Amino acid sequence: MKILLRQAFIADPASSFNGTNQDILIDNGLVVNIEKAITTGIDHSVTIIEKEGLTVSPGWVDVFSHFCDPGLEYRETLESGAAAAAAGGYTQVFTLPNTQPVVSNKTQVQYIVQGSASLPVSIRPLGTVTRNAEGKELAEMYDMYNSGAVAFSDGIHPIQSPGLLLKALLYVKAFDGVVIQVPVDESISKYGLMHEGIVSTRMGLPGIPAIGEELLIQRDLELLKYTDSKLHFTGVSTAKGIELIKKAKAEGLQVSCSVTPYHLTFCDEDLQDYDTNLKVTPPLRLRSDMMALRAAVLEGVVDNIASHHLPQNWDHKTCEFEYAKSGMISLQTAYAAVQTAIPELTAAQVAALFGGNAARIFGVSTSTIEKGAAASFTLFQPKASFTFTQAANKSKSANSPYLGKELTGKVAGTIYKGQLHTL
Amino acid sequence: MKLSTPHLLGIKDLTREDISLILSTAQQFKEVLQRPVKKVPSLRDVTIVNLFFENSTRTRSSFELAERRLSADVLNFTAGASSVAKGETLLDTVNNILSMKVDMVVMRHSASGAPHFLAKHIPAAIVNAGDGINEHPTQALLDAFSMQEKTGKLEGLKVAIIGDVMHSRVALSNIYLLTKMGAEVTVAGPPTLIPKYMADALNVRVEYNVKKALQWCDVANVLRIQLERQSQPLFSSLREYSLAYGINRRLLESLNKEIVIMHPGPINRGVELDSDVADGPSSIILNQVENGVAVRMAALYLLANRQN
Repeated sequence: MKILLRQAFIADPASSFNGTNQDILIDNGLVVNIEKAITTGIDHSVTIIEKEGLTVSPGWVDVFSHFCDPGLEYRETLESGAAAAAAGGYTQVFTLPNTQPVVSNKTQVQYIVQGSASLPVSIRPLGTVTRNAEGKELAEMYDMYNSGAVAFSDGIHPIQSPGLLLKALLYVKAFDGVVIQVPVDESISKYGLMHEGIVSTRMGLPGIPAIGEELLIQRDLELLKYTDSKLHFTGVSTAKGIELIKKAKAEGLQVSCSVTPYHLTFCDEDLQDYDTNLKVTPPLRLRSDMMALRAAVLEGVVDNIASHHLPQNWDHKTCEFEYAKSGMISLQTAYAAVQTAIPELTAAQVAALFGGNAARIFGVSTSTIEKGAAASFTLFQPKASFTFTQAANKSKSANSPYLGKELTGKVAGTIYKGQLHTL
Repeated sequence: MKLSTPHLLGIKDLTREDISLILSTAQQFKEVLQRPVKKVPSLRDVTIVNLFFENSTRTRSSFELAERRLSADVLNFTAGASSVAKGETLLDTVNNILSMKVDMVVMRHSASGAPHFLAKHIPAAIVNAGDGINEHPTQALLDAFSMQEKTGKLEGLKVAIIGDVMHSRVALSNIYLLTKMGAEVTVAGPPTLIPKYMADALNVRVEYNVKKALQWCDVANVLRIQLERQSQPLFSSLREYSLAYGINRRLLESLNKEIVIMHPGPINRGVELDSDVADGPSSIILNQVENGVAVRMAALYLLANRQN
């Protein structure tokens, strides 16, 4: 397949064409030419992409998605998750191990790696840190790493025991692994249903205090300092949490962090109608936290946007708020939500937040926009608007507060393994 | 006059005018209830289901009596002996009942926001008879009615709400109602039973010393310790609670002033309230129960869109 990108703005710091508009010709999965204007070799077999504000960056990487497969296929499968990811501009996705069974050994890792071979994105499983994510003893991380696990996390059940996390951080150093934690102290958050504050008090819902997140981050950073290992926080939701990470980075710790698109878009005030689609973990925080996260994204303290894509079926969301399950589908709207929340975000920042930084932190390869390189790219239009509809939704689930909302910042498609995936 | 809302989900959504309208309508129904024939035909074309997903004796009886006094057809549905025990969802349960041509739903549920969820999905009028730790609007209305009856006012009245404020939907509804009507509110109890953001969120004072709260107030609304709603231990023992926060005659006599004692029931006698106080001259606890029927009649009558 031959693809020609007309006048695409290149957002790739590793490319000599970075920051310029070029024509890019791709043939059989390889970049064959980059020029100001390509005129030769354009016959009827070439698919030409010519769009207002077309921008191209190395393929995006999501580091925290639930594909629910195996075991919870009524919510999502590797196929439907991959389709949603491709439509969201991703070429690589790290999937969470909280499936049934849990991805806690070589066999489970291989099921996912092999299952994604013919899909439009590369699925990289996260293995659990502890056996079956039970938080009791270390899982066979070295074996899982050698089988294709990209990093390690107990996912939605972050490690609570400091002693165990300390051992895990030491253990992964043998193979330069990274541990991912969602900053939730379950002893504090256990009975809460939303952020503890004025809004929760007025709504009569038990709260989840911000201090739970702050304590866990502070504690984990101390463990990181002691072990000199690598730790990634994802879903950071509080201003103070970000501040702690910023300070630790300045001290030279190997810490990195992600925030979700929805923590940049919504805050606790949006829950006043008991909208179950906005029930997420960590919870939506204060408006001031949301603004602090946006500032941290622009400042570069936040390394990555992690979708935290979590499909839930209709009856787990169409019920009483207390009984509703947590999470939302997010892959397909991640970029649009972030670009809408932070309009001043540049294409270079988008490329870093959605792919470049994750590739660096987790040591996964991405392509470079140069002649001769393998083409695994994301195409997007920062100024284009669209409305996210159920007809366009590729996920098996529909638990999204963005449905029916107009968003600015549109993914035009991806190029992956020589194939063009457009919307 | 009409209510500004099609449902009674909480006092939070009512205007001051709504509250006054319900209270004045309740006054008329209270007069009806003094007659030899205590029944009016107002809702004879209306069918109401009492949907109780949590145990309740007095609230359910009070609603049922109010409905029957208004001549409504009444269907009682309790969760234990029903489809809910077989795993049916709330929405399915309610839609099944509504197919039988039911016009109004009175619901008690253990989850905060459950009636708000229902209101988004079904066409019938909904009366919240208590949702989780959120609101219990008819209780607040009957409390206000009783306070007004006893003291002659709500505006400027000083009300202390004492006890397990965190787990009390009575507290939240009372706070919304009283602050809307110009009363002053202090909440008092153990710090672990008072939400951290109470003062900022709801414009009330917070006091950890019960005697100081009693000294300040005109009316003390004493809450039931909701042991069944505490998912983790929040105080050391009932004995210690009773010693530090329980209200007894000796404490009341040390105040050198008369205050009105209220309790939404059922009372844990000897824990939050001693019997000599609950049954003493300051108590209007049984008046509250009596007024409950009139207030619920008023709310149902107005929600059925009958003009007053």
